[in-house]
Amino acid sequence: MEILLSSLAAGLLIGMALALVALGLTIIFGVMDIVNFAHGEFLMIGMYTGLFTAQATGLDPLFTLPVAALVGFLLGGVCYYGFIRFLIRGPMVAQLLGTFGLMLFLRNLALLIFGSEDRALHHGLLVGRSIDVGMGVIIPATKLAAAVLAIFSFWAVWMLMNRTHVGKALTATALNPQGARYMGIPTEKMNALAWGIGGATVTIAGALLVNFWSVNPFVGLLFTMIAFTIVALGGFGSVRGAFFAALVVGLIMEFPGFWDFFSYTFDIQWMYDIPMTSFKYTWVYLAYFIIMVARPRGLFGWKH
Amino acid sequence: MEALRNAFDFSDSPRVDLVIAAMVAVALLLFPLFSPSSFAIATIIQFFIFALYGMGWNTIGGYGGQVDLGKAQYVGIGAYTTAVMLIRWDIPFWVSMPIGMFFSITWSFIIGYPLFRLKGHYFAIATIATSLVLKDLFEIWDFVGAARGLEISPIKYSPPDFLRLIFKQDIYYYYVIFGFFLLGILIINWFRRSRLGFQLRAIKDNEDVARSLGINVHLSKVKTYAIATAFVSMVGSFHACYIKNIEPEDTMSLDISILIALMAMLGGAGSLWGPIIGAGVLIPLKSYLKEWLGARGGLVGIDLIIYAAIIMVISAREPRGIWGIVERVRRRKRL
Amino acid sequence: MPILDIRHLVKEYGGLRANDDISFTLEKGELLGVIGPNGAGKTTLFNCIAGLHPVTSGRIFFDGQDVTLKPAHEMARLGLARTFQVYTAAGDLTVVENIMVGCFLRTRSRKDARRRADGILYDLKLSDHADTLVSELPVPAQKQVTMATALGTAPRMLLLDEVAAGLNPSEIDDIMTSIRHIHNEMGITVMLIEHVMELVMNVCDRLVVLDYGHKIADGTPADIAANAEVIKAYLGERYVKEHAGELS
Repeated sequence: MEILLSSLAAGLLIGMALALVALGLTIIFGVMDIVNFAHGEFLMIGMYTGLFTAQATGLDPLFTLPVAALVGFLLGGVCYYGFIRFLIRGPMVAQLLGTFGLMLFLRNLALLIFGSEDRALHHGLLVGRSIDVGMGVIIPATKLAAAVLAIFSFWAVWMLMNRTHVGKALTATALNPQGARYMGIPTEKMNALAWGIGGATVTIAGALLVNFWSVNPFVGLLFTMIAFTIVALGGFGSVRGAFFAALVVGLIMEFPGFWDFFSYTFDIQWMYDIPMTSFKYTWVYLAYFIIMVARPRGLFGWKH
Repeated sequence: MEALRNAFDFSDSPRVDLVIAAMVAVALLLFPLFSPSSFAIATIIQFFIFALYGMGWNTIGGYGGQVDLGKAQYVGIGAYTTAVMLIRWDIPFWVSMPIGMFFSITWSFIIGYPLFRLKGHYFAIATIATSLVLKDLFEIWDFVGAARGLEISPIKYSPPDFLRLIFKQDIYYYYVIFGFFLLGILIINWFRRSRLGFQLRAIKDNEDVARSLGINVHLSKVKTYAIATAFVSMVGSFHACYIKNIEPEDTMSLDISILIALMAMLGGAGSLWGPIIGAGVLIPLKSYLKEWLGARGGLVGIDLIIYAAIIMVISAREPRGIWGIVERVRRRKRL
Repeated sequence: MPILDIRHLVKEYGGLRANDDISFTLEKGELLGVIGPNGAGKTTLFNCIAGLHPVTSGRIFFDGQDVTLKPAHEMARLGLARTFQVYTAAGDLTVVENIMVGCFLRTRSRKDARRRADGILYDLKLSDHADTLVSELPVPAQKQVTMATALGTAPRMLLLDEVAAGLNPSEIDDIMTSIRHIHNEMGITVMLIEHVMELVMNVCDRLVVLDYGHKIADGTPADIAANAEVIKAYLGERYVKEHAGELS
């Protein structure tokens, strides 16, 4: 029972942080129908930013989030104006490979600059602390903080998208770029803004994650795949869908915990024998495949 | 009979292309006689391998326009089938290779049916997902060595062993893969002129039009996917004998899948010579960059940075690849 | 027995009825025109008949066989071909290769497909363009190629979707010649959607008029030209009332 509850809690907490990871991807896709393979690399940059600002200032990465956000915003903007702008004129094949090139570029740039070793944050306000909520469930403070701040950021972006003029202009660009242009909306700037916001949210997520997740130049791909799964599940382009889908994916990632719960509770021998922890992410990939084939529009899809 | 004649019929290619192709082929045939460095031989073997992968990808990805980023799973199936059969039961390469192809094609039908319900980005990401699932499975599967992988120990055999494809000198591998390479060109030449090839080109253009012309779009895609798979699996088997040490991480990783797609993309997807040109540019570039900058300069990753920059420039500036440039120049001359 | 028999066909897109209870039949060897204002549901009707979109309710019989939910590629095999308004021809296929795609429906042999394609090119007077890329052709010739490609499937019935749109009078004449050739010499039943009245009135034996998804008239071109409801659909009710005297 304890395993079940703590797996549930862990899944939901990580899910909330993942929601923020996927948010940027779904915004960019919603606004301009392009899939960014370098999304996980943006996250990696956010993680390094959080790590280094924290180490340099002696503060917890939670306090240097604005720096990470700024880095992400600029990164998104630069990528858009310097590269993506040219890419979106070409066929889809070129878009896929282009953002893939961007991914390779950022990943190896990180390798060149930071080296391949795992880096983790050892000191911080919350590192090592935890809250015992009873019934055997112990929640690490870092994860709780990440979840809370992720929800807050998510809410802020949601308000921005739905309650402000800029947000409405973004939505208009998403629904009908040509119509938006006729209405006098600078769609080019809107695209850049989508990349800026997308970049900022994912680097914030990175800075939050680095509190409990070590970073190396290759960490991106896993998160790209996780974000793809979330976005596919939630419906490409849907912000609200991404949030709920992230919780589901968080729980899928805790599948080994649930597996253990069943094997202990019912004492099923063959279930012990399967090393489920090494399948932790396989379920995410498998979930993507099954969801897409069964429901190509996702669970809350709104755009084709 | 007619299929065979079609495979050898290059009459729709301009003569200058054929002359250049023949010259390159002769040069490649004679190259090892000039006692080149083992590094150069290894690089050209890599070129053959990736040109063949790229040709396979080109059938479904180039002619069919279905961006498949999961080809590495078939490299894995081919390589592992050959390695396992050789190590465990001493089954020679020429038997295990077709068996590996059979496994690959079976698997491609199993996942191809659901996969091709998806289109565009969704399809591309789903192919990545299937490939990664298979890789994760291989990483814990003890029968195939799990994450440690498998090693074919050449000491057990007496090279040159043509049946098992175990050689000490790379020159043997060079000529074996060169044979595959020529065969591959003939198969692709047949494919692009065949009924299936025409149907696929129509599908890439517009699926509704294709459907109205009586083409079973889903079935044509699945069939072509199987052809692409057979290519990749065949070379995967060769790869196992050549490298002798296979692990899930370097036979089935996403990077391999991307590299395969890249060969065709860079050279020109949907053209006969595209993947060969792509591999001819990218593979030497990659290995020499790595040799000069990575190993000697101590700058890890810089080869891939330059590599990635090239991909980015190509995809933004000339999405039809090098062959696209050639054709544009030709058209301008004609007009 | 009619070659095409449509009974109470209904097609809805998310609650919107694009085709509402349409019934008519088409005899072998007829040349039928489907006309109507924009958004009347003409292309939807074609998509349903050709099997590209499943009908919501109603039945379609082709040559006596119930083909209501048959997929498009099977319809083509049964002998029904169609052209498209916007035909974005494959950039890397030549004219003859394009037609060969159609011909490959009836043969596996490349040589055979090529021979059939050459025949069609000759019939439609396109032989000069055989080795040109379709994307490099002028628009009128592209329209001819779309018809030629559909003919490649050796159809018994051909659906033409606005093949004359955007052409000048002499180009329309050429298209009319081709359509008559397909109908009279090749003996193919033709059903066409067209806005160019000159073509419709000159070529068709019979017209079906759609408006807001309903069939509002069915008859010879002369009947249709005099039909009050058709005039109302095209010109608007007010216009008809105001000019009541002139029209009758």
